[in-house]
Amino acid sequence: MDWKGYTVIYVVLFVFATAQAVVEFAGLVDSAYWVAFGVIMVLSVVKAVGVAAYYQHLRWEPRSVTYLVLGGTVAALALTAAAAYSIV
Amino acid sequence: MSDAHDHGLPPKSSVSRWFLTTNHKDIGVLYLITALFFLVFGGLLALLFRLELITPGADLLGSLGYNQAVSTHGLLMVFWFISPFAFGFANYVVPLQIGADDLAFPRLNALSYWLYLFSGVLMGVSFFQGTTFAGGWTMYAPLNTPAYIPGEGLGATSVVLALIMFTAAVTLGSVNFLTTMYRMRAEGLRMRDIPIFSLSINLTVWMMLFAFAALLAALMILASDHILGTTYFQFANDGSTLATDADNPGASLLWAHLFWFFGHPEVYIVFFPALGVMAECFQTFTGRRLVGRKWFIISMVLVAIQSFVVWMHHMFLTGINLPIKTIFMATTIGISLPFDLMVFSLIYTMAKGRVRFTTPFLFSLGALILFIVGGITGVFLGAIVLDYQFRGTYWVVAHFHYVMVSGATALFGGLYYWYPKITGKMYDETLGKIHFAVYFVGFNLLYFPMFVAWETPRRVFEYSRDLQIWHSMATVGGFILGASMLIMFYNLFVSLWRGEDAGDNPWDYATTAEWAVSSPPPLENFPGVPTYADGSLSFMDDAEVARRTSGSGGSGVAADGGTAADGGTASVTTAATATPASPAHETAGEEHASHASFWPFLVSLGGFVAFLGLSGVRTGSVVYVSMAAVGGLATFGALFGMTREPFHAPEMPIAERWPFDSVEKMKLGMWTFLASDIVLFGAFIGSYAFVRVAYGWSEWHHDLIPAEHVTMPGLINTYLLLTSSFLVVLAMVAAERESKKGTTAALAGTFALGVGFLVNKGLEWQHLFHIHTEMFPNGWNLSTNIASSTFYLTTGLHGAHVTIGLVICAYMTYRAWNGAYQGDDRAIEYFGLYWHFVDIVWLFLFPLFYIL
Ligand code: HEM
Ligand SMILES: [Cu+2]
Repeated sequence: MDWKGYTVIYVVLFVFATAQAVVEFAGLVDSAYWVAFGVIMVLSVVKAVGVAAYYQHLRWEPRSVTYLVLGGTVAALALTAAAAYSIV
Repeated sequence: MSDAHDHGLPPKSSVSRWFLTTNHKDIGVLYLITALFFLVFGGLLALLFRLELITPGADLLGSLGYNQAVSTHGLLMVFWFISPFAFGFANYVVPLQIGADDLAFPRLNALSYWLYLFSGVLMGVSFFQGTTFAGGWTMYAPLNTPAYIPGEGLGATSVVLALIMFTAAVTLGSVNFLTTMYRMRAEGLRMRDIPIFSLSINLTVWMMLFAFAALLAALMILASDHILGTTYFQFANDGSTLATDADNPGASLLWAHLFWFFGHPEVYIVFFPALGVMAECFQTFTGRRLVGRKWFIISMVLVAIQSFVVWMHHMFLTGINLPIKTIFMATTIGISLPFDLMVFSLIYTMAKGRVRFTTPFLFSLGALILFIVGGITGVFLGAIVLDYQFRGTYWVVAHFHYVMVSGATALFGGLYYWYPKITGKMYDETLGKIHFAVYFVGFNLLYFPMFVAWETPRRVFEYSRDLQIWHSMATVGGFILGASMLIMFYNLFVSLWRGEDAGDNPWDYATTAEWAVSSPPPLENFPGVPTYADGSLSFMDDAEVARRTSGSGGSGVAADGGTAADGGTASVTTAATATPASPAHETAGEEHASHASFWPFLVSLGGFVAFLGLSGVRTGSVVYVSMAAVGGLATFGALFGMTREPFHAPEMPIAERWPFDSVEKMKLGMWTFLASDIVLFGAFIGSYAFVRVAYGWSEWHHDLIPAEHVTMPGLINTYLLLTSSFLVVLAMVAAERESKKGTTAALAGTFALGVGFLVNKGLEWQHLFHIHTEMFPNGWNLSTNIASSTFYLTTGLHGAHVTIGLVICAYMTYRAWNGAYQGDDRAIEYFGLYWHFVDIVWLFLFPLFYIL
């Protein structure tokens, strides 16, 4: 990827981060918490995938590297989700 | 062996060799000996409290002495003996079995070993800091926190820090083994074709990579509760009332979740290498290939994955809800099925072959029998209703000793099996058989009565008088078991001198590659580059390798061979350096393979001093504080020395690398490490989510967080980090274009933005520490409440990652200024992988800790 491509990604990341704060400043966190929660987390995930795919070049690596990363992510999510569920 | 051949490594008879060596075989031997030392250490403690238990009551050790002995016995055996013992074999045998001349990162391997050794020393030192840890090997909360530990509790802190050091060693080791096994297999050796012991190690390190990351999170949080005063595992925060959990209802369950998420995989981490040894010995001594080998492998893979979803069977008696208990009962029953398959496979192999009852075989067979008893009794425990009865009793103690010590049994078999390879000498077979007989009797006399006396409460020295006879029997059994080990030590020690020469392969039918070379094998293992291309093992000489790698490029030397000094920065060598005159195996780039470095020892020594100091900084004592400072500096200095040291660990010119063919070894190592870091941060974030759910997700913000904690500093930091990530990729682009100025500027910019991030965070923290509001008259600091604890510790861990990144970045900026990286941006790329990861973590911390 050349610098132009990287710049496009950077702009998108910047805008999404701002959007997350706007959700809060607009009062959505107070009025509709779980909607705000969903929007903000989805934005975070999209940003993370963007950084991983383009800045960390996962797109151009063999898929097995992505699976390695997903393995760690799934393990952490399984722990979090099951532990939280166990006490609700 | 000639001097030139040893590459600066002193002979084995010289003491200095053992401090310098980075060779996998030497390190394997060091692991084996050190692990056996810890076996004796843990074993003596066990004999002490078995003596105590001959009769009810703590009349010998006293109650606190008893608790310390039991707790440290468990920790020593599980952490410092059994896995390191298995990894002694793994170090020695795996490279030989897969056709590699060493591990991928030899100096990191030495570093793992020294960290392990010094972590054990720290564990030993803890006994002399008043009292050592006394809360059981599972370290349940809140008994693991200072408020609940008698005395100053410095010994307990040392134990926690020792475990952190041990975990660091394990993580480095996992990264190293995975990179080795995916980048350095002999040509033609598919993953599924590698010998079963190596395969078992491969799955073990996969489990280690993820499981120990969760343990590391738990331990770091605990250490922070001890040293920094966070309150994750404490119930009350004001120090006056201890019995209430209203302000942190998740405390004790959080520990249980983190610990057992690690703990259950850990039991397979302990057992898998043993299973590998058993399979190897069964094959060799029945002269048959493992029956249903393919299904055996599939079962192992299944178990390794499933091991991460059964952990709550250790929590059936806690307050978790019934649906989740039921799910975990099902997964637990599910995991025993693949095990049945493996057991049957071993039994059929034996039934179909012609058995030779050598010592290694006897130990393997014994291990199988013990494992069957242990496994069946485990299934009892997996049933919720039965566990309501059995939990906290000697049934559990008997169960896990049958399985764990069965693993140790197989590993002792492995010691006899590989002893001739490692030493070149044969042990005394008769003594070996006598050892087995005494061992087996002692074992069963020790642990079987515990099933009978199962009503004895666990970890308690009081028990009903009717059960005394069984406990007396067990104590006698314990001493017989201990005595049997003396036979082994005697046998193996004396055979070093008196044993017959073993030859390359003393075992007929042993087919794995370690038996194809001399005993002990030469420093660089093989007389050429190993290949299985035509179905059996052969070696390519220089000419052959040069012919194969010059034309196609592809995965050859020119493309990615001989690249990186491990832990250091990439440098390229070319195939052209091979000279026809050099010995056959000294192929391209390998000429300068290094085998000696003193830095790993120094790094670990520094770490030891630093951690010992940390264990006591909360007392404010000058001695402790200066130890922490000096040790920290020494560690840093030694790491720097290690980076500067020219050390060459070439990649194999021709190798099997599926599924990571085009991922150069430094890159694969980095990604593997990041995968474990994902779990570490995941567990921190998961802990935050868990205690917040326990408290009440929505009330949390209102009750515990001051209004002064606003979004803006977090948003600014997000911008700073995103921009710095962008600059790192620009640095790569500039390096590719050979613009020295551009590279330097971009890296310097990255550094500046990172510093800005830390400064901004520092200002924010200062502000929050010192607020005076109605709700928080004394500021909002680490100990204020559970929300402040999670906030400071999680973002603090992230800040620590940023700091480490900045140190590397400063060094790289300096090197770029001097003209490095031009036309070869790989070093920047690998740094970028880390830096972007730190960025990604922040992308989640920002909303979770600042917005939601
Ligand atoms: C074959 C299937 C197995 C099953 C179904 C099983 C099941 C269980 C269960 C349910 C417990 C919890 C008991 C309680 O605390 O009430 C337990 C404890 C334990 N198991 Fe197993 N287990 C199995 C195999 C193993 C293996 C292979 C090992 C190690 C090599 C092992 C090591 C342990 C240990 C160390 C504990 C005690 C943990 C503690 O200190 O509380 N188990 N097992
Ligand atoms: Cu378990």
